[in-house]
Amino acid sequence: MTGLRSWLLRRLLLGAGQTAAVVLLVFALTEALPGDAAVALAGDQPDPARIAALREAMHLDRPAAERFGAWAAGLLHGDLGSSLVSGRPVSSYLADGFGPTLLLAALTLLLLVPLAGGLGVLAARYEGRLVDRLISAVTLAVYAVPEFAFGVLLVTVVALHLGWLPPTAVGYGGELLAHPAVLVLPVLVLLSRPVCSLARLVRAGMIDALAAPYIAHARRYGIPGVRIRYAHALPNALAPAAQQLARTVDWLLCGVIVVEALFVIPGLGTVLMNAVAERDVPVLQGLAVVFAGTAVVLNLAADTVVFRCTPRAGVVA
Amino acid sequence: MGEAHAVTANTENETARIQDLRVEVGGRALVDGVSLRLAPGRITALIGASGSGKTTTGRALLHEYPPGATVTGEVRVPDALVGYVPQDPATVLNPARPVAALLQDIARTQVRHLPRRARRPAVRERVLRALARARIPDGDTLLHRYPHQLSGGQQQRMVLAQALLTGAGTLVADEPTTGQDALTKQQIARQLAAVARQGIAVLLLSHDLEVVRSLADEVHVLCAGRIVESGPPEQLWRSPRHSWTRALLTRTEPAEPAEPAGIAAPPRDTVLQVRGLTARHGTSPVLHVPELRLPPGCSAVMGRSGSGKTTLARCLAGLHRTYDGQVLLDGAVLPRSLRDRTREQLAAVQYVFQDARAAFDAHRPVLDQVARSAIRLRHRPRPQATADAERTLRSLGLAGDLVRRTPAELSGGELQRAALARALLARPRVLICDEITSGLDTVTRRSLLTHLDGLLRADPDLSLVLITHGRDTAALATDLAVLDAGRLVEQGPADRLRTAPRHALTAALLQTAPDPRSLPDGPVPHR
Repeated sequence: MTGLRSWLLRRLLLGAGQTAAVVLLVFALTEALPGDAAVALAGDQPDPARIAALREAMHLDRPAAERFGAWAAGLLHGDLGSSLVSGRPVSSYLADGFGPTLLLAALTLLLLVPLAGGLGVLAARYEGRLVDRLISAVTLAVYAVPEFAFGVLLVTVVALHLGWLPPTAVGYGGELLAHPAVLVLPVLVLLSRPVCSLARLVRAGMIDALAAPYIAHARRYGIPGVRIRYAHALPNALAPAAQQLARTVDWLLCGVIVVEALFVIPGLGTVLMNAVAERDVPVLQGLAVVFAGTAVVLNLAADTVVFRCTPRAGVVA
Repeated sequence: MGEAHAVTANTENETARIQDLRVEVGGRALVDGVSLRLAPGRITALIGASGSGKTTTGRALLHEYPPGATVTGEVRVPDALVGYVPQDPATVLNPARPVAALLQDIARTQVRHLPRRARRPAVRERVLRALARARIPDGDTLLHRYPHQLSGGQQQRMVLAQALLTGAGTLVADEPTTGQDALTKQQIARQLAAVARQGIAVLLLSHDLEVVRSLADEVHVLCAGRIVESGPPEQLWRSPRHSWTRALLTRTEPAEPAEPAGIAAPPRDTVLQVRGLTARHGTSPVLHVPELRLPPGCSAVMGRSGSGKTTLARCLAGLHRTYDGQVLLDGAVLPRSLRDRTREQLAAVQYVFQDARAAFDAHRPVLDQVARSAIRLRHRPRPQATADAERTLRSLGLAGDLVRRTPAELSGGELQRAALARALLARPRVLICDEITSGLDTVTRRSLLTHLDGLLRADPDLSLVLITHGRDTAALATDLAVLDAGRLVEQGPADRLRTAPRHALTAALLQTAPDPRSLPDGPVPHR
């Protein structure tokens, strides 16, 4: 197991480097955007003198390298800095946005894993028969629909025409959990495509595994079918699905901007949108750190699962 | 055929019986009127060339047939339990689970009658007992390993333990010794003898005649799906009645050392030379060869599985590049890696792999793939290259329409000859053959060896390096090198090593026949 441990350590160091690179890139890209926080704050009738004053107040007149250096030094002490626009600490922005995002992600995951796994195993069990063709056709069709289109469709039909559920989370503020009806449509939209891609991956892996000689061998010795499917075949089908699941979780935690905007949920995606609009560089950088860190940790977790499921493959740093 | 081959007169004393079995796929009979009886404690062997219907007959006991097969006749297994040890045990071990997983599940199906609390210790006890019966000494620690962490021998014993754990009265062992070295073969033979002593009927499917002769109580010779002859081994070997049996039993290796294959009185200079070679996998050294000279003609590198034979061959061919030292061809140093070798150097050293099927692209005709080496390595235009390829293939007995098909339609022996042809089209100076005969049955192997001998005679400039653990393959060689655990233990002219080996392993590899009852050539005693 020392091999695994040193591999983990190497991967974590590499991940820290990747996070730093992402942060540097985000900083460079926001610098490259036309306009800055001062211009955004100055409003519709920009007065050059006012912009200059704002710039000086925000220290935007200092060279980019110096500003980045000061911010990076703060980061090493755990200080993400504070917003250029409101002066609030960046960590409070992140904390506010993280609650709703985490809630949505957790709910989606809770439903996603059993649903996708079950559908995949079911389709593989009846490979080529009606059940399989039905599952395969429906998952392919749903996967082809972009989430904004699916979201708009759901809002129009279920919320506006039928009036069964509220169309957006406007007015519910931070206490989404107290109003579960608000969450149904967003979670449905978030589920739609990941369920399809995961179910198809599990199905493909299960079909391969069920056709393998070691499964025939287990059947030969009278092992019950359920046990064969879930205890002997499924572990072989998990490796590709685990990678895809990590990508999905990453997307759920860092990038459901469209869904948050559509349903007006005050999560991290919304914080990101506002920060870009206001050229609020410290908030953007704080988000970049969080997103990059999440991506590194999740991929590492997925690779560890894959390592467990395909012990033969060994580890590649 | 269809006549019953009575093994024992006593009907009660049998664990399984096959009566007039006929298995037909697409109008072609794979097995045609085979009858067998398996009795407890007896080893029944089915011998015959690849494709003679051995595996189909063995699998019939498990009620498993090829897809689309029409089956007539009767297969009766009173206790419905048959254990199976396939040719490659690794394929039936789940790569994603520790080996304990299936063993425990098998045991769990047997303890359902016990109260819930007693089940877990009962499962454990049964698993450990099965491991002991399969002669796995430190089974407790091996249980938590994944299949790839076990050696080939341990894998085979684990699969055997599964069979014993089911309580099966019958065991089908499919080519258990194929591709193993002489010493491992002995261990497997002893293992099977021990299983039979536990009162289990063993059906041994094999083309390994030495093992069959020393182990079996009853031998059936299969030819094209029919049993052409049956009887106790000593009778069969002494007076084979059927011409096919005679062809099969003809000793492969000549009684006296082979006439020097190929060139008459070759000058004792060196084609390939290895100097101070230490090869590593990762950082750990796996092979150390201070000095090795391979003369023109045919040399063989021998050793047990895992002794470093293939690593040496891969160093010579430029496929393994983490080594110190030098490999010289005709006195000139060869670059370590294939990538650094010139086209001429690439063409000069050609490699034929053990698994011919894996060495061909499954989707292109064999002829195109064979012609490719002449196009790539000798810049022959395509029409000439194809003509060359056809000529070479024909000289190896592969003619006409066959070579225009995809690899799937060729047999293992045919593909191996096609792989030889592909290597020969590069006009190599040295042809390295890595265990190219070990997966083949006796008849096919002998024909391939005849072809190799013919190559040497036809082209005095060609040298062969045979990587092998089989002495019948090594019989072709005029010069031998023996490796053990990554060290070169002996090297010299084949005659000298055969008559006066200095190292025990050389003697073992060149002379051992499996003799589980330590009675090498005597009559087989009855139990």
